[in-house]
Amino acid sequence: MAVPVSPTGSLPVGTDVGPVRPVRARHFVRLKLRVTANNFKGQSWRIVLYVVGAFFALWFALGGFLALAAPGLLGEHQAAIIVTGIGGGLLTMGWLLLPLVFFGVDETLDPARFALLPLSRRTLLLGLCAAALVSLPTVAALLALCGLVVTAAALGGWAAAVAAGVGVLAGVLLCVAGSRALTSAFAAMLRSRRVRDLAAVGLAVLAALLGPLQIGLVAAIAAADWDRMAAVARVVGWTPFAAPWTVGIDVAEGRAWAALVKLLITGVTVVGLLLWWSRSLESAMVGTATAGPATVKNSGPVGSPVTQLFPRSLGWLGRTRFGALTARECRYWWRDARRRANLITLAVVGVFVPAVVNVGGSGFQFDGAEGFDVLTSASPVAVSLSMVIVGALAAVTIANQFGFDGSAYAANVVAGVPGRVELLARIAAFSVYVLPMLGVVSIVLVVVLGEPGWIGLTLGVLLATYGGGLAVNTFLSVLAAYALPETSNPFAMSSGAGVARSMLTLVSMVVAAITAVPILVAALLLGDAWYWLALPVGAAYGVGMAWLGAYLAGDVLDRRMPELLATVTPRR
Amino acid sequence: MSEEHPALSLRGLAKRFDTKVAVAGVDLDVPTGSFYGLLGPNGAGKTTTLSMAVGLLRPDHGQARVLGYDVWTDPVRAKQLLGVMPDGARLFDRLTGAELLAYQGLLRGMDPAVVDRRATELLDVLALGDAGRTLVVDYSAGMKKKIGLACALLHGPRLLVLDEPFEAVDPVSAALIRDILQRYVVGGGTVIFSSHVMEVVERLCSHVAILADGVIKRVGTLAEVRADRPLEEVFVEVVGGRTATGEELSWLSR
Repeated sequence: MAVPVSPTGSLPVGTDVGPVRPVRARHFVRLKLRVTANNFKGQSWRIVLYVVGAFFALWFALGGFLALAAPGLLGEHQAAIIVTGIGGGLLTMGWLLLPLVFFGVDETLDPARFALLPLSRRTLLLGLCAAALVSLPTVAALLALCGLVVTAAALGGWAAAVAAGVGVLAGVLLCVAGSRALTSAFAAMLRSRRVRDLAAVGLAVLAALLGPLQIGLVAAIAAADWDRMAAVARVVGWTPFAAPWTVGIDVAEGRAWAALVKLLITGVTVVGLLLWWSRSLESAMVGTATAGPATVKNSGPVGSPVTQLFPRSLGWLGRTRFGALTARECRYWWRDARRRANLITLAVVGVFVPAVVNVGGSGFQFDGAEGFDVLTSASPVAVSLSMVIVGALAAVTIANQFGFDGSAYAANVVAGVPGRVELLARIAAFSVYVLPMLGVVSIVLVVVLGEPGWIGLTLGVLLATYGGGLAVNTFLSVLAAYALPETSNPFAMSSGAGVARSMLTLVSMVVAAITAVPILVAALLLGDAWYWLALPVGAAYGVGMAWLGAYLAGDVLDRRMPELLATVTPRR
Repeated sequence: MSEEHPALSLRGLAKRFDTKVAVAGVDLDVPTGSFYGLLGPNGAGKTTTLSMAVGLLRPDHGQARVLGYDVWTDPVRAKQLLGVMPDGARLFDRLTGAELLAYQGLLRGMDPAVVDRRATELLDVLALGDAGRTLVVDYSAGMKKKIGLACALLHGPRLLVLDEPFEAVDPVSAALIRDILQRYVVGGGTVIFSSHVMEVVERLCSHVAILADGVIKRVGTLAEVRADRPLEEVFVEVVGGRTATGEELSWLSR
């Protein structure tokens, strides 16, 4: 093909690529470190949060290291099998599921930003994976997992130690790839409006999977049958969840072939996960294009604009500021993928936590032919405590409610909405979703426990904690808001915000739990009368607290609306 | 009573972000009934100035008054008289156009019947009625500007503050927006908008201010600022830009 050459001798644009230097994973890592560092510029509070977070991470890493090294140092062979098999399996599960439920993934390097660069998918994937490895939690986990190497070394010498080291590295790789693949896939699902309900079902199924595992584990512990535990651990060790962690023990037991097979299992899983991630990555990169075309829907009766704003079930709301705010918030809790993800998560956790604390705590008993049988020995105290956790968790969801709005909050600032009206409306709209959910949780719980008489107790404690939590989180949302990145991934956190969010969640949960103390004290003092008084007292307490919170925080909001707008507006 | 006050009066507005001075003391009087163009290159501080003028960004120094009411000490009165279209996608865009207008109207404490009537009319005039149940997030850029304008107009403000109303808008929508703004000014309203499209400013504005490096460089009626020269020439001279010599970027030519 004849290439036209210009008088100056240079080639036409597009054919002259020149010597292209290959892009390596380390470029991505350096980019991530650079972006993280730049995010700290001029934001001393972020540095403080990060240091505090790093300290906690180190603390947990040390604890984990000791726990994992203990079986080896003490020469407890069976304990080592159980720790690596069951402990390792739980670690992998947690690593995969917790980002979905609580923390979100650090999307410092948003895949969409690379869409225009001439990078092969492989380069991009490996680069993003390497960048994901460079994070505080990963480093902390790696430190903790070195305990496994110590255990393997103590039990099987240097060969086992080397095998365990390789296994740990492969396992961390598996966890990172898995969590990325999972969040990316869920993000893609939640982004498309058509399959969002499918995503809800998916999360629910995941939670349902956790249930039996939990119950089996508790049963095993209750039986305190270490031999059976070890047997279970050996089986789990052959699944991808625990395969990489158990490699060292296998070598120590002189079964090098098993170690090789397990490493193979891990490798195949990692490749599979990367392929899966790579598929959803594509949709993340083209982003809005897959969000569904703008279809003009003219079907159905279309009322006047004001009628359209109010969801049919909320038609009774007054056509006032409060009504409009509540209606808009209600629409947003469902239409905004980020908020919807939070609601779905809350629904799943709301069922999961009471199940673990009560059903698990009292224990399932395996009665031969009769199968699993629920013991009805759950105490009112355990029930109340689990309700405190659920109530506090529910309220935490609004800790960054203004962050969800982002710069759109400007509309409310320009309109000069009074702070109290704003906050009360937001609480009301969120409660439209949460209160029915809390009702279902309490009813299901008392029915499963076979104690229908406790319904007042569960609902009362739940409402009291939820109300107290709302008060706390309303304040937090005004004083400690932060901007969420403008990406289509509802699980994405801007770098640095991840630590901030975890800390805020922790603080707000603790304070919300403290607000529930009067109710718990009342439960202890009042004895049997409490079964009847709990509901009215708890409900009144909750409503009072929520109202008080909105009342006081509303004053603060009135004074700092522009500042709040500035903090929730994403930096471009 | 408001006739004696300018529609918008800024005195010594200043804002600093970290170490960068975004706006360094802006004084501006926008006469009632004027069509005011705020010109400036990118990063001149136009958005920062307008944000401080409407109560979205707290200034470090200075005052902003809308028809005599201080935006920062008497925000309720000032904001009732103000219609604002902020830059970018600052809208609750997970609502449909009709829902968004109803929300804005009720948020400003308007009567629902009036909201319905005006919202329907605005959607009709701005040719957004066909969008039906489409969410604003799925609107095109031009449609977003138009719904933003509708939100700003809904409560019948006396002063309209628009940030880049003609950016990324196709000619048909631009003509429509121009037409509506002109009618609004003829009807006694005041408009101030930021732009860097000289042609639009020359055609529409009665007054012009040129902002660069956070300071007002030229201000006055269009005729005063222009002084019989093309506005673009004045602008480039005031702002100071580099002219290409033809030597650089030679690798771009074949």
